[in-house]
Amino acid sequence: MSVSRLHLIQMEGELYMDYEYVFSFNKPQLTGNWFLDLNPLTKLNLVIAIAIFSIISKSWQVSVCIIILYFLIAAIAGKFYSFAKIYIKLGLLIGSLLFIMRAMFIPGKNTLFSFLVFNITQEGVNQGVWFSTLVVSLCGSLVLYSKVTRAKDLMFALEKLGAPHSATYIILSSLQSIIDLGERAKLIMDSQKARGIETEGTIFQRVKAFMPIMGPLLLGAISSTEEKAIAMDARAFSSPTKNTHMSELRQFPLWEKMMVLLINISLILFIIWRLI
Amino acid sequence: MNGIELKNVSYKYPLTDFFALKDINFTFEKGKFYGIIGPNSGGKTSLCNLVRGLIPHFYQGDLSGDVLIEGKDVRNWDSNLLSTKIGYIFQNPFTQISGVKDTVLEEIALGLENLGIEKNEMIERIIEVVKLLKIEDLIKKNPNNLSGGQRQRVAFASIIAMNNDILVIDEPTSQLDPESTSDVFEIIDMLKEQGKTILLVEHKVDLIGEYSDEVLVMNNGQIVDNGTPMEVFSNKALLELDVAMPQVALLSHDMNRLDQPFEYITITKSQAKEQIVKRMGCVNGSN
Repeated sequence: MSVSRLHLIQMEGELYMDYEYVFSFNKPQLTGNWFLDLNPLTKLNLVIAIAIFSIISKSWQVSVCIIILYFLIAAIAGKFYSFAKIYIKLGLLIGSLLFIMRAMFIPGKNTLFSFLVFNITQEGVNQGVWFSTLVVSLCGSLVLYSKVTRAKDLMFALEKLGAPHSATYIILSSLQSIIDLGERAKLIMDSQKARGIETEGTIFQRVKAFMPIMGPLLLGAISSTEEKAIAMDARAFSSPTKNTHMSELRQFPLWEKMMVLLINISLILFIIWRLI
Repeated sequence: MNGIELKNVSYKYPLTDFFALKDINFTFEKGKFYGIIGPNSGGKTSLCNLVRGLIPHFYQGDLSGDVLIEGKDVRNWDSNLLSTKIGYIFQNPFTQISGVKDTVLEEIALGLENLGIEKNEMIERIIEVVKLLKIEDLIKKNPNNLSGGQRQRVAFASIIAMNNDILVIDEPTSQLDPESTSDVFEIIDMLKEQGKTILLVEHKVDLIGEYSDEVLVMNNGQIVDNGTPMEVFSNKALLELDVAMPQVALLSHDMNRLDQPFEYITITKSQAKEQIVKRMGCVNGSN
């Protein structure tokens, strides 16, 4: 039976099959958002270019502008809330920590404040502002990329470029393992809680409750890895045949290629200008 | 025609002193449905691992004897090729999901992608197995968020879609409700009709008795009995080995003990019904 004929058949009394969804795999699955629908490698190129720009410019003002740019891009991609939720927490934590460390320990001539062994100088504050905004902006590129690109799309794009199937699987599987480990840890913690063990309260109490589950958690992860390997073998993962793909990646339109070219040329010119 | 031949096969897992399989001699013929039953730790899963080629390719251990798959020793098979020939569904539904796909539909497609199947055929096969397993409502869901029973059906669909000649199925219904279990057996029966060789490990012996062509009883790593369901479940000695039997077979054995035997040991409900109706007819007739 041909696929097109199957498409038309929805037998009476049969469970509802979303054929539209099934056949959506015949073409790239686009979201309708121009930024999200960019090729994963285009987006990767963009965030790497921005990160390099931030490093080369050596200016906290540029880093701040880039941080604002990330929020703008996230808003354009319709991911503002999920991006901001993680990025603000991460930025405040890493940024403040780095600023304090730099400001307190970098020596300088202009002392602003002195307390015990700590000597906060203008030079330290300047270094702290620059370094913390730089690192926060670099973190932003990673967070933004993870929010606007599905890992599987990136891996698929890399596979198309010739990356080994096994390598992309290992990366995707490792990312999923982190989620699985978190869920398993929660499950064990809930079991402990059901047995009357205190798992909430102060950080000390939480750590105390968490340490004993590390053993079963890791052993469970190791044993499930073995079964997962067998499961993947059952799916002919190492089959000598060249594999095909259910999904489609959107082709690079000319304007997208031009955009990547423009970004990269601009970056190279900027680097040359800074070096001269 | 012979599909898989086992000649004097014994096997010990690495770092163990006891035989997981001992002196196994058996031939699995092509196109037949074999039910494998027996108490826990009897060697059923080890037999599956052997037939599937995981022993010796994945589990090293100590293997002796000959395991011939389509006439070629398992040791000489390329394990990657074996996976395209023999489908394997195992007990744990939670580790049978790849974890790298976002939807059930893509999960089912994974095996087909690895086999290099063209997209049109891939879609055709997916639609077929999705309907067969009645998982139409799951295709857009994330496989990592499914329940055990749902995952088991998805894993089953994924392997069936690959259209292997031989299917080794280890307790596929452990997480399923009775209705889904019956569905799975009907599907297995249909696969047998398509000429596939099926090895099914299952504790639900009532269904094994009803559907399988031959039953193998395993205990302590050995095949202690084999034959048609009728031959195997008529063997009283198996009761002493704690081998589970269909309820209606147990009823027949009980009737024998009471010196009120049926005409034969009943294996299926319809056989038991027929015998009971006959018996009631006799009683009514005598009245």
